[in-house]
Amino acid sequence: MSTYNISRRKFIGQAGCAALGGTTLLSSLLNVKAMNAMARNNSSVLSCAGSKALVCLFNSGGLDSFNMLVPTTTSEYNAYAAARSNLALPVNTLRPINVTNTPGRTFGIHPSMVKIQSLFNQGKAAFVANVGSLVAPMTKDEYYNETVTAPIGLFSHSDQQMHWQTGFASKRDSVGWAGRISDLLTSCNTNLNVPLNISFGGSNLLQTGVNSVEYTINTWNPKGGIDSDEQYNWWYTTMKKNTLTNMLDATYTSIFEQTYKNTLKKSRAAIADVSAALTAAPQFNGVFSSNYLSDAFKITAQLIATQGTLGMSRQIFFIDYGGWDHHDELLANQTEMLGMLDSAIGEFQTALNSINKADDVVTFSLSEFSRTLTSNGNGTDHAWGANVMVIGNPVIGQKIYGDYPSLALNGPLEVGGGVLIPTTAAEEYFAEIALWFGVPSSNLLDLYPNLPNFYSVGATHPMGFLNF
Amino acid sequence: MMQNKYYILFFFIACFGIVNAQPYTDFIGAGHTRNVTVTASSGLGQSTATKTINGSGLDGKFMDASRFVAQATLGADSTYIASVMNMGYENWINDQFTKPASYMLPQMNSISAELKAARLSLGQLEEDIRSPNWYDFNFAWWQINMTNQQSNKNNDLLRQRVAMALSEILVVSRNSSLGDWGEAMSKYYDILLEHSFGNYKDLLKDVSKSFSMGYYLSHLNNPKTNLAENIRPDENYAREIMQLFSIGLYRLNQDGSQVLDANGFPIPTYDNDDIKEMAKIFTGLYGGAVMPCPPDCPSWWPQATYFGLDPYFIVKTVPMNMDNNNHEPGPKTMPDGLTVINIPNNGMAEIDAAVNYLFNDSNTAPFISLRLIQRLVKSNPSPAYISRIAGKFADNGSGVRGDLKAVVKAILMDEEARSTEYLSDYSNGALRAPTLRYTQFCKANQLDSDLGRYWNVAIDFSRGTLHTPLNSPTVFNFYTPDYAPNGPIKDAKLVAPEFKILNSSSSVNYLNLVHWWINPWNNSQGESGTLMYNWEEYNGIPLDSTVYLVTSKFETFAGDNEKLIYELNKVLAHGQLTDATLNVLRGLASEIDTNSSDPVYRIRHKTRLLLYFLMIAPDYNILK
Repeated sequence: MSTYNISRRKFIGQAGCAALGGTTLLSSLLNVKAMNAMARNNSSVLSCAGSKALVCLFNSGGLDSFNMLVPTTTSEYNAYAAARSNLALPVNTLRPINVTNTPGRTFGIHPSMVKIQSLFNQGKAAFVANVGSLVAPMTKDEYYNETVTAPIGLFSHSDQQMHWQTGFASKRDSVGWAGRISDLLTSCNTNLNVPLNISFGGSNLLQTGVNSVEYTINTWNPKGGIDSDEQYNWWYTTMKKNTLTNMLDATYTSIFEQTYKNTLKKSRAAIADVSAALTAAPQFNGVFSSNYLSDAFKITAQLIATQGTLGMSRQIFFIDYGGWDHHDELLANQTEMLGMLDSAIGEFQTALNSINKADDVVTFSLSEFSRTLTSNGNGTDHAWGANVMVIGNPVIGQKIYGDYPSLALNGPLEVGGGVLIPTTAAEEYFAEIALWFGVPSSNLLDLYPNLPNFYSVGATHPMGFLNF
Repeated sequence: MMQNKYYILFFFIACFGIVNAQPYTDFIGAGHTRNVTVTASSGLGQSTATKTINGSGLDGKFMDASRFVAQATLGADSTYIASVMNMGYENWINDQFTKPASYMLPQMNSISAELKAARLSLGQLEEDIRSPNWYDFNFAWWQINMTNQQSNKNNDLLRQRVAMALSEILVVSRNSSLGDWGEAMSKYYDILLEHSFGNYKDLLKDVSKSFSMGYYLSHLNNPKTNLAENIRPDENYAREIMQLFSIGLYRLNQDGSQVLDANGFPIPTYDNDDIKEMAKIFTGLYGGAVMPCPPDCPSWWPQATYFGLDPYFIVKTVPMNMDNNNHEPGPKTMPDGLTVINIPNNGMAEIDAAVNYLFNDSNTAPFISLRLIQRLVKSNPSPAYISRIAGKFADNGSGVRGDLKAVVKAILMDEEARSTEYLSDYSNGALRAPTLRYTQFCKANQLDSDLGRYWNVAIDFSRGTLHTPLNSPTVFNFYTPDYAPNGPIKDAKLVAPEFKILNSSSSVNYLNLVHWWINPWNNSQGESGTLMYNWEEYNGIPLDSTVYLVTSKFETFAGDNEKLIYELNKVLAHGQLTDATLNVLRGLASEIDTNSSDPVYRIRHKTRLLLYFLMIAPDYNILK
């Protein structure tokens, strides 16, 4: 909320540029040229090449992801079963996945995840293990002794959602990293009406930039449209349309009135373009189920299919799929909800294949935290490190990135009740995605000020799960 | 020409006042220049610009009363506004304190009984008839709030407004299984209504022990620690009662600002260990009573309630019970590190003690005060305003802490709520919550419902605007108190919570909803666009409860566009419309007159289109 954060970010961002570019303007410019030839993960030039889309699947509420990705090697499964007691999934119900980078360790995924199992085994999906909000790497001792700064407001929904969405766990901020990407890359799009960020979850922090906000679509009337703007060859309807124009052209001294007016005016301009795109888009008959989540993925696929018509080569979609706060009835709810999620993702990949866009789209999941390994009777509480998944043809799949932790209580990362300190920062996960999307590496620190605590911008990929 | 002279005369007076920053001590009304511009040009008999300037005319006072009523109720018509004006605000508030609550549960049960009888008469079987769910709660909510202004009803307008505000602080939502349980929702709302003029401590206790909150935040059937099974108390309610219902995340000064440590950082009120301790307090609660066995009573139906009884079998209108055997034994340390609660074998007394502890924490006064001010008056109260209200919360003047009567009265009577001085402040006001626009529109007009039924399911409205009572997506409410939309509000470091739910979709949906409400085209019965409806008729239930809009009251002014616009502005927008909006409305009205000689167009269609554009205008949507 405070400008202090923004100026801090600016300072770090500039410091980052200066560090890369030397101390004089001339050397900065020379370096910019030099870096053009370098790999994307060490570049200061934004790339608008090709058409790309990111889909952020936000599992708000705190998805219990240690029941999504489960170790099946006997000793590790036994530790899992002991910690989770009455909430452990029987080992014979887990769907096996062929992980290629965890020698000696085997894993299974939740029984509901049929299509994700298949995508994983085809090399089109991967998991990132024990990722979470961090300010800097932290051991158990450092956590207890408070010798390393912990993220603010740990274990609170609102704070940890903020960490993931701002990419900054040190302070409260009101700008999200997808919003910052939009501020940076919006010039890749020729369409001036429809924002780079499109949301199915309304206004959200992730997509709030300094100079940009999201465009919200609802799944039950995605084309939108203002009834009083509908025109027939009749003075009455023309008059209504002109009257609204006159109203929205006025200027208001009240900043509240002005903000209301701006929202309406921008929506009105974007609706026409989105509506035309959706009218022209493929209908994907028979591909998608009919529920909120599948509807959102379907509209996403339609707007990706019509990127050319829309004049957009960069899009970020935000699909808020909430209801994971399973303090109660964890097992039944997860079975149902993960099943719905699995279907929607499978359908989405089918749709992308049918329009030849599967190589240009990455879907990634996040949730504010995973849940306690221990049970509170029939549910689990707020914890910290979580497992997430990343899906799409650009993914170097069949792998679990990061370090899948020991689930033994009193293990080296466990800080009470089955809460695990993350071993990978959310920023490392995001930086990989941002670079693939075309964000210059010189801007990474502006997006993720604490990134240098985990990864130095340079020749290697932040995590290596995307092909670019 | 005379009108212009008044306009210019007043313009200078108004400028003089602003330049000298003189607070107006009389009731000139809302928006000095705006107000008088309209008054003078209206040519209405009952007032003149001069009278308005010196406060002797009716309209300035009326507009001010209209604004007060918009802060203190869910809306009212011009007759009611005039009655509040004549009574005086403080007298009206005191009178409202004496009005008994119109409770949701009996209203909902009565509607459900009517629906059930109708279904049975159609030959439906009793076991096929659905039990009350959130539709029925909505029916009751609208039935009460559309009729409680009638002379034979309770007139508990202020209480209903405060309860709605409280429902956005102490949040439960139909977006959970509560949506299937209309009794649970209605009873919960009744707890809010009951305590709206009571004490916050009692409210917080009753909420904490209610079935609805127990279910929603999962401290119902919350067991004590079981080390052998690695089971420990559920932390959900422990966290949210502190974060959202009482002390918040950081130490606060009484003016609502954060206390900072030596390094300039805010000081957390609690840490995760404190939550674990508080979680132990909220163990052992279970259903208060078991539902009676249905007519075809199965043998397995539970005979009595017990710890662990499934919510399905629990009577949802009675408070939870305490099972001391499932309540965590031993001492529990409160977040201050000093207070220890340890009342062996009396879990309920431990809950009372913990709620007392939170209630008495100094943070709770500014924390709750800010939220109530934001719901009733404005998004950005000054620190002094928060401090004054927090002071009333701390001590009502008779040494009582948490007296909501004193708090509500202080919020509404505060000079920052009442003085017209603030109207020209560019940062004043709040975006009206969508439901408040809807109820105000309905109440300012007349409604046509043959049988006096206002059973509104409001599904198009809630999914369109993202707002209806007890329909928040999460316990964090529809919006948080610190939300700031991009643009001038965030740039000015101000907040505007309600803007969280104003996006490209919801902003346009609202337009379309109003456009449908005012739809002037008649059906065969001479009725037009529907304001409210339920699903029952579509399911073949022969209970006419569709509600139509009647605009005849405003239409009586339609012969003179200035008078018509003036009346709409006065009643709905408290005389606060800007010149820009007034000119847009004038242009629209005269274009209709120019294009059509048809009296229907020149009266009904014109009135209704003006209503549409007023209801969607930026200066209407901000309550100042």
